[in-house]
Amino acid sequence: MTNETLSVDRQEIAVDIACVGFGPATAGFLTTLSQTLMNSDGSPAIESRVMPGAPLQVVCYERADDVGFAVSGVVTRARAIRTTFPALNLQDIPLATAVSREELVYLLDPIGASRRPWYMRFADKTIRALRRILPYEKEALRLPYIPPFLRKDDGLLLSLGQFHQWVASQLLASGLVQIWPGTPVAEPLIEGDSVKGVRLADQGVTKDGTPTESFMPGMDILADLVVVGDGPVGPVGRKLEEKFGGSKPSHLNEWAVGMKMVVDLPENCTLPEGTVIHTFGFPEPEIFGFLYVYRDRVASLGIFVPSWFQNPVRSAYRYLQHWMLHPYLWQHLEGGTLRSWGAKSLKESGKLGEPELIGNGFARIGEGSGSTNVLTGSGVDEAWLTGALLAQAVIQLAKNGQTFSKENLEKTYLKLRRGSWLETEATIAQHARNGFHWGFFSGLLGMSLAGFTHGMLHFPRRKKNHRMPSLEEFFKNRIAPEEIAQIRKECYAKGKSLHDALMTKAGWPEIPFDNKLLVSHQDALLLGGKVQAPDSYADHVLFLYPELCDACGVKLCAEMCSGQAITPNPNGGRPNFDREKCVHCGACLWNCTQAQPTDPDKTAVEFRAGAGGLHSAEN
Amino acid sequence: METILVVLNVDENGNLSKHALETVSAGVKLSKGLSSPFTVGIVGPKPELAAELIGGCGATHFLGVSAEAFQIPRYVTDSVLIENLANKSQATLILAPGSSRWNRVLPGVAHRLGGRADLHVGELKVAEGKLSITKWYYRQRMEAVLQRAHRPWCLGLDSGADAPWQGERGQVSVEILDIPINPAEIRTQVQGAKSPSTSEQTIRPDAELLFVAGAGWTKKQADGQAHPDRAAELILRFLQLSGASLGGSKSLVDLSSEGQSVLPFMTHLNQVGQTGATPRHPKGLATCCHGEEPHVVGWRFINERRAVNLDPNCGWAHGKADVLYVADAFQVMERLNALLEQEKQSK
Amino acid sequence: MSEGYHIVVCAGIVPDPLQTLQPVQTPTGWGLKNEMMLPAVLDPWAAHALYEAAHLAKKTPGSKVYLVSLAPKAKLQQVMMTVAQKAAFELVPVDGPASGFTEAFEVASALYEAIMGIAGLDRNKLLLFGGWESASRGAGSTLQILGEMLQIHDQFQGVDECTVNPDGSLQILERVEGGNHQVSVCKGPPVVLGWATGNLPEPPNNPQIGMSNMRTIMPALQKAKTAKIGADGVFFGSVELPKQLRQTRVVKDAQVDEIAREILEWIRK
Repeated sequence: MTNETLSVDRQEIAVDIACVGFGPATAGFLTTLSQTLMNSDGSPAIESRVMPGAPLQVVCYERADDVGFAVSGVVTRARAIRTTFPALNLQDIPLATAVSREELVYLLDPIGASRRPWYMRFADKTIRALRRILPYEKEALRLPYIPPFLRKDDGLLLSLGQFHQWVASQLLASGLVQIWPGTPVAEPLIEGDSVKGVRLADQGVTKDGTPTESFMPGMDILADLVVVGDGPVGPVGRKLEEKFGGSKPSHLNEWAVGMKMVVDLPENCTLPEGTVIHTFGFPEPEIFGFLYVYRDRVASLGIFVPSWFQNPVRSAYRYLQHWMLHPYLWQHLEGGTLRSWGAKSLKESGKLGEPELIGNGFARIGEGSGSTNVLTGSGVDEAWLTGALLAQAVIQLAKNGQTFSKENLEKTYLKLRRGSWLETEATIAQHARNGFHWGFFSGLLGMSLAGFTHGMLHFPRRKKNHRMPSLEEFFKNRIAPEEIAQIRKECYAKGKSLHDALMTKAGWPEIPFDNKLLVSHQDALLLGGKVQAPDSYADHVLFLYPELCDACGVKLCAEMCSGQAITPNPNGGRPNFDREKCVHCGACLWNCTQAQPTDPDKTAVEFRAGAGGLHSAEN
Repeated sequence: METILVVLNVDENGNLSKHALETVSAGVKLSKGLSSPFTVGIVGPKPELAAELIGGCGATHFLGVSAEAFQIPRYVTDSVLIENLANKSQATLILAPGSSRWNRVLPGVAHRLGGRADLHVGELKVAEGKLSITKWYYRQRMEAVLQRAHRPWCLGLDSGADAPWQGERGQVSVEILDIPINPAEIRTQVQGAKSPSTSEQTIRPDAELLFVAGAGWTKKQADGQAHPDRAAELILRFLQLSGASLGGSKSLVDLSSEGQSVLPFMTHLNQVGQTGATPRHPKGLATCCHGEEPHVVGWRFINERRAVNLDPNCGWAHGKADVLYVADAFQVMERLNALLEQEKQSK
Repeated sequence: MSEGYHIVVCAGIVPDPLQTLQPVQTPTGWGLKNEMMLPAVLDPWAAHALYEAAHLAKKTPGSKVYLVSLAPKAKLQQVMMTVAQKAAFELVPVDGPASGFTEAFEVASALYEAIMGIAGLDRNKLLLFGGWESASRGAGSTLQILGEMLQIHDQFQGVDECTVNPDGSLQILERVEGGNHQVSVCKGPPVVLGWATGNLPEPPNNPQIGMSNMRTIMPALQKAKTAKIGADGVFFGSVELPKQLRQTRVVKDAQVDEIAREILEWIRK
């Protein structure tokens, strides 16, 4: 085994299939698999190798403390999900709602603080001037036409958390698979060019990993097949990429942070159930927003802050609040109440970010496998499909008594995946966002080009990614360098990130907290996210090079941190990390602006397996 | 027509506790409101003396139990005790202080008598000749007003539900009950009370002030280092000087019980909040604690609340405290201790 | 006690402690808004009882732990996935509501039926464990009533420690007023212990224990009997969230000395 801690006496258990992470992909995998594990006479359709006579032994380990603690505001055409559940009844899944109407809305800047290029300012002026003849309402322009590739006509709105609970409940009731939440997987067990299983995270250790009296070394789970569905920042997927190769380094920079809320809309809200609103243009041109209306006057809403938004203090939370306060949205939200809050990283490189999907003893599914469609902005159904396809492959191989070798997985899973609609659409989408590397307008144009020409035409990729500008460069002509220096000094001395102070200085109004929907970031964590971290695991965020942290002028890890878990250290060196505020979004991993001295493709932040996070099942 | 029984025990000094006197008030209130007779049942070595203390309360009948077997809090004997008092008085409403002793036994004995019980009862209200009680659900997160059809209805009253009874002493006649109990049924011997070790004696239920420490005391401070020893020193000194009772947030208590080098004197007994205690003190001072909702539910009975925290947006700021000082608790407590020292010396 | 104990742990499920709760009236009485959507955990006090049971069973060879739980089957199943890795037990599920607004007597009756149905349960080895208070009903009543139904008259509440003496008797520490413990010695089973927090930390997740538990948990859940639980004879006038918002004065930028003096004045007022 290649793993370091050989001296520790670790227990082992053997299963047939071990899954890492319970997301939509693994849910699709387990559901499809469990539908065929038993014959109608109660005998195993596929016999276990490790437990002869019994059906295939399948376990899934999930880091979060519950199967329902997932984050995503989902609008989906649900093609793959409906294939798995042909008789899907939305009434069975809390919050699930059919899409009834869609809006694509350009938001003007009502306060003048948005960082808009000249043509957008001109557009805003023109729209205001022509507001009587345009579909204009409250500083927003409803686009009369939504491109077909963005439409979700026959789609569903889901709460991923509730959908997970619903799927998991059926899976568990079948007794055919086991899903263990609260169980982070530390790493794959690699032997030569094969994956032999996974190692669970050590328990009974201090925050720095030192064993205590109650030390329990993470168990080794030996498996014939490891199904890796641990998402975009999962440690198992990333270890496999290190070993077996993955997406090109330039695609490491293609990310976004999605931050969202679930809101009880005010009683006077007139938005019909099933409404889908997509916004662009505000609070910054690079930030996109969504608002979906579930049944019973509940909405899921949020924004995406992408990696191409070159703002060294790109705080998603403050921007989310300004977005909600935009008059077009606030007319529906004012008087609403926060029910839930959450954030996650999204891998935005799509097919271009596809890692090695298979190898001896492992297969990758879901978002971490590059399944998200960056043109249609759809990921959950695609992830589900990858899992379902892998399950079909596994059934085929197991029934034929074949091993889960790379060769066999290539002939089955890979072949099925390459022949699916997922692949066709991902290929069309793969260059759709290149335009955003050049600017906002070219981004929109690039999306349209790729969408309307089925990927034939698209913007070229920008050769080199932008270096993150310094604060002084970014706020040039808006905040004087001396003022920035003063803010930096004051904030760092208090161990605070800078974004609030800088945004206020740059003209963004203070948020008028109403203690219901507009609440402080920490209250969103507590009231909405209910963030918790269990004891006995080591900290999962590590800053590997204190000297680099010291030299770092922007500390984007702290600025971007979705839960304010990372804060600047007043004494310099490594930032402080408080895992009891960490929502495991992983933004620190890809936002870090410092490259590792030994590997320039990696940042100086290590994001390991860790337990805890959000305790909300509605996101 | 209800018949009321108030069950009381005499404390080690032969007195009735404040909680017992509050229960007497509740009995008097019910008796008047429901126009019902009420009996007081007292267990103690000399129940007559205690009965004299409340002789003017208007009870129609006094029952006493003085046999030694019934003097100590123990389920087997206490349940027989209440069963006999209830049968003797034919009570339909049985009131007792919601102390550890009576809360242990009331639900079981209610079942034995064919009735129902409610513990942690707040207010008793009488309207239209019917009794309603208030009671908290989901760990003090919602309050219900309810009535019951079943009788007898046993009620363990929370402390503070009524003002302690203050009335004339009076000579009363106490009927001493001789309750038979088979010694073979007594399988439990109570050996006494065990006080927590000296370092844990920081819980003082009668203190004027509750001092609550949050996990912030153990976090890295401005110099990038954690100073748990200094925190412990400051807190203990403050408790000594001020006579305050010590409470902790769940996160701090959890850290301490893990054996981490935080505050060695902090145990689960100190935990205030939804999964901890709901102490009663006139004043409370929270330090290095975020004022999260689950914690603050444990402050339900703290009248005046102040907090010291570095975060001006913490929960305390949002209507949960009367005053929030945005400041470093290490510095504030150090200065406060110095002022208390000065005060002590000048006395 | 060489033959070990039969430890029956009664544990309901409650909403995960940090969830936002709101009472609502439902066709079947009072309940929580979105109750089925809220993530649930084992009732915290009862969870301590389970850890204590597992610990005692480990120290006393031949012991067996049963976890008797009344809860909606689907929710209980989900909670089991976080509990089953912590301690070895046999689940005795009863499918019914987990609401705090149900009557303790009715819950106790359902638990009694379930316990009486446990094959081979020996009353002379029986330790009935549970939490001293439920996080939903906000009081500790069910266990005492259940104890009465089982005719166990050695009952202890707020237990933080139970040790087995060499003669087989049990020394029990109960929380009493003033931060003290009452120390009692009971001859032995059967007893009822309503646990406070005890002294044990939450055990780590052990996948082996989990997998072994699962072999019996899922079949047990599939066979779980349904119990009709309500609140017969209880009439709720109202159920409300407390409104306790204060006008907070936030003191920023004050000198430490000034703050300390103000606090001292306030303390002495």
